Amino acid sequence: MDLITKERDRLLQRTSRLVGLCGAAVSLASLSVPGVVSWTTYLALLPLFALLVLAHLRLPGRSQPLWISVGLVAGFAILVVGISPWDSNESVGLATALAPLAAAGMGGFAFLLTRSLPRLAVLVACFLGSTWLVHVATVDTGLFSAAALSAGIGWILSAFISYWLAASVPLAARRILNIGTAHRAERQASETEAQRRQGARLLHDTVLATLTLLAHSGVGVSEDALRQQAADDARLLRQLRLGATPTPQSSGQYQLESAEDTVLGTTLESVKHRFGRMGLEVSWHGTGQVLLPTDVLDAFLLALAECLENVRRHSGVTQAHVTITEDDNAVRAMVTDSGVGFELDAIGEHKLGFRESVVGRLHEVGGNARLFSTPGQGTTVVLEVPR
Amino acid sequence: MSSSIENTLGAVLTKRGRTVDRIPKAVQAATANGATLGTAHLALGGSLVAALQAAFGFGLFLARLESYPRPELTFLAWGIFVAAFVTTVVVFRTVGEHLPVWLIIALTIALGGIVTLDFIAIWSLGNIGGYATASVAAGFALLTVVTVRQPVEVIAIAAALGTAFIAAIVRTTPLTAELLPTQITVVSLVVIPAVVGVVIVRGFRRMVQVELDRVLVQSTVSAPRYAVGMLASEELARLDLAAEKLLESVATGQEPLPLTPGTASTAASLATELRLHLIEGRRETWLHHAVSESEFLGRSVSLVDKGSLAGLLDPAQRDGLLAAVWLLLSDSPKATANRSIRLELGPVTRTAQTVVGHRLVVPVVMTIDGVSRNRIDPAAWGAIGTVGQYAITQNRNLTVNIECLVDNPASH
Repeated sequence: MDLITKERDRLLQRTSRLVGLCGAAVSLASLSVPGVVSWTTYLALLPLFALLVLAHLRLPGRSQPLWISVGLVAGFAILVVGISPWDSNESVGLATALAPLAAAGMGGFAFLLTRSLPRLAVLVACFLGSTWLVHVATVDTGLFSAAALSAGIGWILSAFISYWLAASVPLAARRILNIGTAHRAERQASETEAQRRQGARLLHDTVLATLTLLAHSGVGVSEDALRQQAADDARLLRQLRLGATPTPQSSGQYQLESAEDTVLGTTLESVKHRFGRMGLEVSWHGTGQVLLPTDVLDAFLLALAECLENVRRHSGVTQAHVTITEDDNAVRAMVTDSGVGFELDAIGEHKLGFRESVVGRLHEVGGNARLFSTPGQGTTVVLEVPR
Repeated sequence: MSSSIENTLGAVLTKRGRTVDRIPKAVQAATANGATLGTAHLALGGSLVAALQAAFGFGLFLARLESYPRPELTFLAWGIFVAAFVTTVVVFRTVGEHLPVWLIIALTIALGGIVTLDFIAIWSLGNIGGYATASVAAGFALLTVVTVRQPVEVIAIAAALGTAFIAAIVRTTPLTAELLPTQITVVSLVVIPAVVGVVIVRGFRRMVQVELDRVLVQSTVSAPRYAVGMLASEELARLDLAAEKLLESVATGQEPLPLTPGTASTAASLATELRLHLIEGRRETWLHHAVSESEFLGRSVSLVDKGSLAGLLDPAQRDGLLAAVWLLLSDSPKATANRSIRLELGPVTRTAQTVVGHRLVVPVVMTIDGVSRNRIDPAAWGAIGTVGQYAITQNRNLTVNIECLVDNPASH
């Protein structure tokens, strides 16, 4: 069963119970007024009321039809006992006291009796029966007593509300379904957008590098260079936000073309420039031009830039060497510096973000990285990606 | 991950105090201009009920016209009732959900006038309950505004009406066995409809909300194996924008270099957040997003899926799993708050040879707290059946072990 159908049924049950209990309570309160019924009748009615209340309370369970029947039978029993001939004490108040019982105490069940033909038959029968019994209870019987009419109206209103509620649900459900469809489209769009943003990895790499510099208040880098860098990055981010794929300017910052293969040489130059501005001189050796698939190139350059960033931050020297070699299967980069170096076990790879930002990225494209270092002897990193 | 759900980073969404309180764009668009999710239709029903009761009351008045000492006042009361009722309904149908405040005030004053006139007209009869007609209809008239006003307001007006009735009855009517039942009935007839109306509208709203939540979450079923998720996606866009603004202000010289410590630490936290988003954003599955984005699931479902195995489930299996969780949670007769489900996926320990080839077996363990087996909707078992073969054990809590067959991602 649909979730919304279940929720609807629960709502109908709750309403039925509320209306029913209110009706029973009002009726019982009226009957409790001394003189409306005799004491013997009143005592006989009490267990029947208890049964009716129990039936209303038990409605949410599994055996709903059973409890509806019990409640209706109890209601009829109250009406019959209330007007029974052995109670000679005929009172004007009796009909008005019984009317809420018929209208709401029993009429409340109408909320649950509108959805199938057999149930509707029960509804009509109980509606007519209880209304007639209230009419019989009336002393000053005119055309048709006001109390009986009220009882009938109670049934009619309950049935109407039940029908109306049930009719409101599909309307709401259809609306919600439309919203769901729109939301699915929105989710797909946001997913695509997120992937586009995450896919602009080189762009984010330079942004992150600049932000990191700014995080150290930009100390150690010339003010102009930093402003220039910030302006470039802000422009790239703006292009990304406006939906364009950022393209490199004449100064040749970052290549984010979706071309099948990209020339390594020009992008290596851009990395070199960037670190140059930050005060790390990078010397290139070996192959100048290498063709790699875009995703491999991205990972390779990111890993390389990350290594150079580590050199810049931790080595204590201002020069690094990058040697690019290639064979039929792989492209390798060896990043060396003659800085302070470190004890591999003492510092560990995690601390440098090495595993995450270097090894992780290379693994994604089928490459790997190795790290060699001794205190005082500098550091060497070998990066390898498949061709 | 046991008791709290993280959106990809930073903000930790605890079970209760959810930090992210966003309304999806689709919902905003659909409910713009006061459009409602079925409550307007419900309100029309309320108006019809009030009209029906008013017609009955007016009929009763006409039938006993000769007993009324000053029928012209009652007629006047009915005239005001019709005017107020028609105005309210017409304004309501034209302007939608946002009823102007003046109308509410005018309606309240009109109701007061109706009751006063009606009471004056029948004061000398000494039986308020027996002869009041228009003032009873005034109680029902509250049903027209029950969807647009706060429950407290509606109940307060109904209570005021009831009090007016009781006061008038005590002043005029001898409380005999003949007359008292009528008075009790009439007072309850004035107050109870508004209460029932409030309860129905609240239940209806809850129903719509649960369904809306379910439908919105349902869109995760067609998500790719790993997804960034809507929250994280918006977060990434926000971080990008923040970074852009910061860099822009540095570039234009708005921010002095070297930066102030405050701005520098902003840059540092931006960099950290951005880095985490870029690295980890794609490692979450649809199920994680479903649970963290949903108001209802987020409250009572905890998810353990270290290997991100949920991503391997095909759409039918995802649908079944979600449906089962919804059925299990929504089924309790009382509030859902005391039921909780723990979903644990993996680890994958074996494969199975089937007609469609070699497939992985992902064990899904569903631990349900606060429910016994025989109280669960049978439809839930049907839904679980679409996820995979299952076995049930009932100890202190109910545990369902599902063997979920999925395609081996390595074989693609």
